[in-house]
Amino acid sequence: MDATLPVQMVLGALLGLSVYLPLATGQLSLATPGFYVIGGYVAALLSTGVAALGGGEPSYPLPSLLLEMGLAALLAAAVAVVIGRPVLKLRGIYLAIATIALVEILRVLNLNLPFTGGAVGIFAIPQPFADPWGYLLLSALLLAAVCWLCARLGAMRLGRAQAAVRDDELAAACMGIDTAQVKLTAFVISAVIAALTGVISAHFLNTWNARQGSFDASITTLAFVVFGGSRTWVGPVLGGLVLTALPELLRPVGDLRLIVYGLVILAGPVVFPQGVITPERLQHWARHRPWRRPSPRAGA
Amino acid sequence: MSTLPAPALLRAEGVGCRFGGVRALSNVNLAVGEGEIFGLIGPNGAGKTTLFNVISGLTRASEGRVLWRGGSLEGLGPERISRCGIARTFQNLRLFDNLSVLDNVRVGMHRVAGAPLAGALLASPAFRRRQAEVQDQAMELLELFDLAALAPQRAADLAYGDRRRLEMARALATGPSLLLLDEPAAGMNPAEKDDLCARIARIRERFALTVLIIEHHVPLMMRLCDRLAVLNFGERIALGSPEEVRHDPRVIEAYLGGRPAGQDP
Ligand SMILES: Nc1ncnc2c1ncn2[C@@H]1O[C@H](COP(=O)(O)OP(=O)(O)OP(=O)(O)O)[C@@H](O)[C@H]1O
Ligand SMILES: [Mg+2]
Repeated sequence: MDATLPVQMVLGALLGLSVYLPLATGQLSLATPGFYVIGGYVAALLSTGVAALGGGEPSYPLPSLLLEMGLAALLAAAVAVVIGRPVLKLRGIYLAIATIALVEILRVLNLNLPFTGGAVGIFAIPQPFADPWGYLLLSALLLAAVCWLCARLGAMRLGRAQAAVRDDELAAACMGIDTAQVKLTAFVISAVIAALTGVISAHFLNTWNARQGSFDASITTLAFVVFGGSRTWVGPVLGGLVLTALPELLRPVGDLRLIVYGLVILAGPVVFPQGVITPERLQHWARHRPWRRPSPRAGA
Repeated sequence: MSTLPAPALLRAEGVGCRFGGVRALSNVNLAVGEGEIFGLIGPNGAGKTTLFNVISGLTRASEGRVLWRGGSLEGLGPERISRCGIARTFQNLRLFDNLSVLDNVRVGMHRVAGAPLAGALLASPAFRRRQAEVQDQAMELLELFDLAALAPQRAADLAYGDRRRLEMARALATGPSLLLLDEPAAGMNPAEKDDLCARIARIRERFALTVLIIEHHVPLMMRLCDRLAVLNFGERIALGSPEEVRHDPRVIEAYLGGRPAGQDP
């Protein structure tokens, strides 16, 4: 069985979570593709440009890959801190527009910088894994780690502060919460997740160019969260998995597939205004366990 | 013109606040002593809430300054002022509606609820013990306000009176020495108002609080407060014990309509 689609789905879920974290703090940031592209270029440039990392070997060494992920995370975090401080003062739609501008600036830079390969980009990125299963394992591990983080946030002070800022930033400040710091923290974590996803993606795709991070990508990743739901982390995961798979699964439909895809994205918020997954729905399922068959004695 | 500064916990010195052409406050002077219940009364639009906003760092004073234990609060944002030990409630309730009643109070405990990151991520026993402690303290506060039974409910789903009490519990959770209450009895029936009065006196004892309270219900304020200040059109027109304020001719004029409401001052 080919694991290509599952890998893409898991990467989609990761990007969904990257959009979700600032949103859980009330910040509509669409910067995720920007940091995703940064991560991808770190991987592409290092693995093709630095011979010591072992790009010439038949299989790219795993430690080199992990080193790339570490560096990409650091770079993304640094950029997020520098940009986040001024940009996160904006609210609502203004923040969204500023972050879209950021993504566009990065795209144009990447098209024109001397070392990013112009419109063609960078290709022949070495492969750490012989087949997609290796990528699936790595990306699934990353997804599990990020899900764990999101789940823990619910029990942590930071998670509660995020929810408070989302509900009423001013009242949160009056509770002694440094709201700027909380927003920045969420933004940085979001950037790191996107960059790590970019590293995996660059190797997986074998080639990397400026088109990976565009306005389209901002909207697509936002759709993951709108479709899945933004009130619990489970929503963006589901949204990322489903909406990434859908165009591929619809291939047999031919040209109609984009229309069907668009209709699904449109129907999602109409039928489920808060997204498919909400905390209430999760609680309901946990209580009633509809996936379990009624026990033999239940009817007696 | 006093030369010796009285030992005041909070002191407003010539505080003025303008919004465009509106003078919400002008040259307001007052000092609140440690342990006092200090009342702030005045007609609608007199600037009472604006004074609270200036004290809590939500609005910047255009003139004058606010001193806290002798140090200036100038330029401090609301989170810094909260950390100084000043907590407030809001006239038009600002609860975290999507959070549970318990979490509203736990958010109030933000400053004390910190824990090492690694323990939190791994759900270590030490972290869980700490969380249990925080939860116990929060529940204790909720019990004090008769809200313990509602702890798991969404704050938005509470009845009005419960929401008012929850806001007080949340403010107390920040561990303040000064509590600013903006019309805590608004919309309550007489029995609830009595209950609230008793509750404020009780929490003052229990937490060694100083209370600054805005309320339109004058009889209640006369009963509850040690001292009162009266604002009218942004000016402090009277200050003193309830008895003194009650007989002040300017207060009587302000309340009995010397100037029709809405007239330009
Ligand atoms: N942010 C603001 N922008 C412009 N004007 C404001 C602002 N806040 C208050 N004001 C004005 O300042 C004046 C004082 O308002 P404030 O809310 O302090 O009155 P108040 O004494 O609390 O009245 P009430 O008893 O009705 O609550 C009013 O005229 C009000 O319209
Ligand atoms: Mg008011």
